[in-house]
Amino acid sequence: MIPASILDTFAAIMLAVAAVSAARLVVARPWQQGTQAILADTDISHLLMAIAMAGMLVASLQTLPNAAWAVVFAVLTAWFAYRVIRDARASGVRALAGGHCAPHLIHAAAMLYMFVAFTAPAAHASGGMGGMAGGMGGMGTLQVPFLAFVFALVLIGYTIWDLDQLSGPGAGGHYSLAIARTAPAAAVLVGATAGSGAAVLSAPSAAAPASATAPVSAAATVGQQADASALASPAGQGVLAPWVATSCRIAMGVTMAFMLLIMI
Amino acid sequence: MTEIAAAGVRPGWRSRIDAGVSTARGTPDVRRRLQLGLAGIWLLVALLQYQSFMFSSGFNQMINATAAGNPRVVASPITWDATLVSHHPVLLNSIFATIQLLIGIGIALRPTVRLALVASIAWALGVWWFGEGLGMVLTSSASPVNGAPGAVIIYALLAILLWPADREGRQAPFTAARAIGAPIARALWLLLWLSLAYFALLPGNRAPQALNGMIASMESGEPGWLAALERSAASLVAHQGLTASIVLAIALAIIAIGVYLPASAAKATLVLAIVVAAVIWVFGEAFGGILTGGGTDPNSGPLLILLALSYWPVRATVTASARTAVIPATGQEGTTA
Repeated sequence: MIPASILDTFAAIMLAVAAVSAARLVVARPWQQGTQAILADTDISHLLMAIAMAGMLVASLQTLPNAAWAVVFAVLTAWFAYRVIRDARASGVRALAGGHCAPHLIHAAAMLYMFVAFTAPAAHASGGMGGMAGGMGGMGTLQVPFLAFVFALVLIGYTIWDLDQLSGPGAGGHYSLAIARTAPAAAVLVGATAGSGAAVLSAPSAAAPASATAPVSAAATVGQQADASALASPAGQGVLAPWVATSCRIAMGVTMAFMLLIMI
Repeated sequence: MTEIAAAGVRPGWRSRIDAGVSTARGTPDVRRRLQLGLAGIWLLVALLQYQSFMFSSGFNQMINATAAGNPRVVASPITWDATLVSHHPVLLNSIFATIQLLIGIGIALRPTVRLALVASIAWALGVWWFGEGLGMVLTSSASPVNGAPGAVIIYALLAILLWPADREGRQAPFTAARAIGAPIARALWLLLWLSLAYFALLPGNRAPQALNGMIASMESGEPGWLAALERSAASLVAHQGLTASIVLAIALAIIAIGVYLPASAAKATLVLAIVVAAVIWVFGEAFGGILTGGGTDPNSGPLLILLALSYWPVRATVTASARTAVIPATGQEGTTA
């Protein structure tokens, strides 16, 4: 029987991720920037996953029925699959391993799997997922447990990679503020189509250095671009900094792997 | 930019930490990738430690079982540990799992990699004794098929071999030799695999039905397809204990001496090591019993594979002093190996 305190801790972390993701959406205001709505997908998925996982961990935090969540994550999985395929066409198979969307695809697919493959224990059969606070005895399991194991391994892999890159010296486009620092504070993503293979930043701020006011073509391909939501932000700093999104992803990766493993 | 200029970019302590960690713009080099593999396994172990089974009496019974057959001086602390865990299962298991979680995260984070590797060595040695009964190597039941000489000791070995430092003025023939040198690294490899060959030939393991029984016992609690796989493998070696043990011991001995052979032959033996480790992991260890919901770790299979990869011959591994460079675009220190 897993102590409630451990489940509560993971649920609290998920609520914090949900709050941060919501804050990022509010500050970035993607709905006011037309084409940039597409770039909010990361934060929207983080928000939804965090809320769903908190409800799975603690019964009192449940929000939607399992079937509704399954539909939500089916849509998210399809969306990120579409984006990964689009990235793969532009950047090749590297997009699958190191692309921006591949980890989110795995996260969404793992969530979908958890809701679809969940088998409630007999005592809770009518109560949906019913939380895990009852411990293994009162907790459901997942069908096709090998798939849960595989998902957990992949999630752990991405988490470890994120941690390494987050603390790395160069820290690549995904994680550092190198691009945001080079570009002015008001840099706006004006083109991030997968077909172009590169993001273009326009830099209208008068306070910015002259060299930075010209459009900056990111050298990276789409798969190596900075976190999309951070690029879309006015500043890419504060709550919109790339490391914040990465930290959320790390927290969710660990929590999701934890949930998959305890439900084997 | 010159090395002198590069040295001024960041403090010395940070330069030492970054040494041998990355190639450019945060892309990890081979050793760093192997460290990340180790970190991933630690993270997996930590999350498995949070399973409900580990908070039950089953966990302390599992620990207690490793005392059986060991000399009293080894067994007594194990019994004491099992008793302690039985009295405080929630507190102690939470601490155990969290320590392992921190080790995994610590290795994955570059600034804390050394601290985490040191901690992993200390923790692994403790678990090897108090949790695995020294891998049962002092009993007659140790077998390479069931995880001898104890998976956890391989964590410690990997932490040493993947230590983020380079011996000055030498070019390491493989990643595992970068920190401690090729002779010592080869000797450790030889010791490990020869000991596995020795365990394979123990009387208890070469009995006609020994291997069959060992594999068949892994079937319990596994999903249908894996149980069927175990049954098939067990029937394949039924009454063939002696033959199977000799074949396995020969393969393990070849692997042991492989690192002393020329590069092409060494690669062949390393591939053999990876195949043997994978076969052991699937058929002998059933993925560490993880799919039963009661596995504490993935057992030795993945660690042996990671170990083999760290001995893969490389053309030239440049030493730390030669690697320091600056990435012009960022001013960040990187490596060019």
